[in-house]
Amino acid sequence: MRKQHASALQRTAVRETVLFTLPAVILVTLMIYVPFLLSGFYSLTEWNGISKAPVFIGLENFRRIFSGDPGFIKALVFTAKYAFFFIIFSNVLALALSVALNQKFALANTLRGMFFLPYIMSMTIVGFIWKFIFSQGFDKLSELTGWGVWTYSWLGDSGLAFWSVVAVGVWQSLGFYIVLYIAGLQAIPPDVLQASQIDGANGSQRFFRVTLPLLGPSITTCVFMSLTNSLKVFDIILALTKGGPGGATYSATLEIYREAFQNNNYGLGSAKAIVFFVMVLILTQFVLRLFQRREVEL
Amino acid sequence: MTSLILAVAMLLSLSAAAFAQEPVVINMFISQPEYADAVRELIDAYKAVAPDVTINYETTQSDYPTLLKTKINAGETPDIFSTTSGKEIGVYLDYSYNFADQPAAAAMQDSVKSVMKSGDEVHGFALKSNFFGIVYNKAIFEKVGITEFPATLEEMKAACETLSAAGYQPFSTGFAEWWVYKHVFQHFLNAASDDPETLVGKFIAGEAKFKDYPVLYDNFFQFLDLAVQYGDAKPLETDLASEEAAIGTGKAAMILGQGAWVEADIANIDPEFRLGFNGYPISENAADCKVISGSDQALRIFKDSKVLQSTLDFVNWWYTSEYGRNWFSDVAGVIPPLKDVKAPDMEVIKQGNELSAAKGAGAVSVSYSTDSFHQAFGEILQAYVGKTITRDEACSQIEQKWVELEGSK
Repeated sequence: MRKQHASALQRTAVRETVLFTLPAVILVTLMIYVPFLLSGFYSLTEWNGISKAPVFIGLENFRRIFSGDPGFIKALVFTAKYAFFFIIFSNVLALALSVALNQKFALANTLRGMFFLPYIMSMTIVGFIWKFIFSQGFDKLSELTGWGVWTYSWLGDSGLAFWSVVAVGVWQSLGFYIVLYIAGLQAIPPDVLQASQIDGANGSQRFFRVTLPLLGPSITTCVFMSLTNSLKVFDIILALTKGGPGGATYSATLEIYREAFQNNNYGLGSAKAIVFFVMVLILTQFVLRLFQRREVEL
Repeated sequence: MTSLILAVAMLLSLSAAAFAQEPVVINMFISQPEYADAVRELIDAYKAVAPDVTINYETTQSDYPTLLKTKINAGETPDIFSTTSGKEIGVYLDYSYNFADQPAAAAMQDSVKSVMKSGDEVHGFALKSNFFGIVYNKAIFEKVGITEFPATLEEMKAACETLSAAGYQPFSTGFAEWWVYKHVFQHFLNAASDDPETLVGKFIAGEAKFKDYPVLYDNFFQFLDLAVQYGDAKPLETDLASEEAAIGTGKAAMILGQGAWVEADIANIDPEFRLGFNGYPISENAADCKVISGSDQALRIFKDSKVLQSTLDFVNWWYTSEYGRNWFSDVAGVIPPLKDVKAPDMEVIKQGNELSAAKGAGAVSVSYSTDSFHQAFGEILQAYVGKTITRDEACSQIEQKWVELEGSK
């Protein structure tokens, strides 16, 4: 009797699990898996996005990519550089700011809100704001201060445009990582810190020897998230430079978009997307394993 | 019992709906948002003529081609949509209707019709005919003592020095926009050959090289260098709005890559602006300095539209009715692409017509390539202006893109 009751409960539990997750699974399948499979199909075709039937050409697109597509390689290099600096700047700054904002002072909550605000702004607004700052804002600043740095062409010079894009990208998503780090900081039990203080550890020793290791899971999460977000960077660049000037700020995703929609080569664009997906998958899995091994259990 | 009543009520209302007069809905999705207000007035006027017809008008500028492709592939092809004229007529041929036998086609100017055709079929109509050239500030020119527009490269160099010495910025270039380059280049293309369409065809086939055409290899890049030297401090950050602001506020004397469409915007900034219009100085031969007139944009009618006849009625009304024909000049302020209709009283048009009558006008050679190529072309030249690539690199990249993007597709 009890066994039957137990297995009936188990069946109900299983059925509930399935039914509750079914809507989400259906949506994810429709919105992500089906387009992914279709993308795979289109990567084997040549199609300009307009004519009624794509032409099947097998692995020709992939051959073209691997025999050296300079535009794609340039975009990959740009994305790698962008990801590298984005991860470093956003994590270091977010960590520093979250330590500062975790202190108890009068305006702490207001400041936390202010730092989070850019993250919820739409990309178009962010693009407009920063374009204005880089052109008229900097002009005014150079008038007021006379410093040379304000007169450079931050969006028009191909070298400087990279740093402008990194700066705006970091500025925009800082709030997100601050939230994650503050949550991680608040999860550290205060008695561990007090114990270390009693043992004679000073501020920086406390931070580097106690806080940082215990922040391990947060760091893993934030580095992983900043890695995936920076590899997928698209709207910041579209809003600020549209890939310019002269094609200097094309990220991999923007290059895929250009290939598919601007060059009217949907098949090649899909193939590049698949190649890029595999690259991102391998890289993120590698980074995830690396960081998880270094986490410290309390 | 209630369910029976409900079922009967539903059946009755459904059948009533089936027998009722089907209101016709035309979906119009085009990419010339600067004329949004004028088009809305046109649609309101048509409502008075055909009350059963509702026109859903949508417009956008950025990403229009991507949005159009998305709509086409979703099965929601608009009944009226935009492409560029010339080569892109062929790209969207599967979707556009041949209305050569319609009154609208007969009412079109021949020069406009010629870039809308595929063989003998007419696949596009135009919102406007256009003028392309250098727009300049007559007041500034007079102030510094330039009496005649510099029609040769040497004269232009001298004019720039004079303007610069007097404290004016000779050019505002708009080099942040990819399409400025194609508008400037087409003038040089026209001077490089008597048949620019065939020349472009040769480039697309990979048979022609920039080095074979000194007008393109030397003169065009000389002009670009001149524009950068005497242009904006941050050339790759100047867009259309900055150009118009620069010339409208009297800071810059000339703007590049523009045409008839900027006159209204400049007049908004400075109602007293005295506009001058002329061609680009191509060489030492003043006769090469010509304006270009024609239509680079085409509006297409969807071939398999469910409301094809209503759409054709609308387009025919637009091109043949009293209101429609006068709409171009009076409401939209554009050059009518029609025969025998007066043009609006605008400086670019008046001067453009005078110059065309005196020296002839060039063909709209931008239409011989698609915008896919032109966007890549603009990017390559941006890199040249930003000094990250040399002239030879730019030329070879352009030649490569012509073959890659336009060849055999």
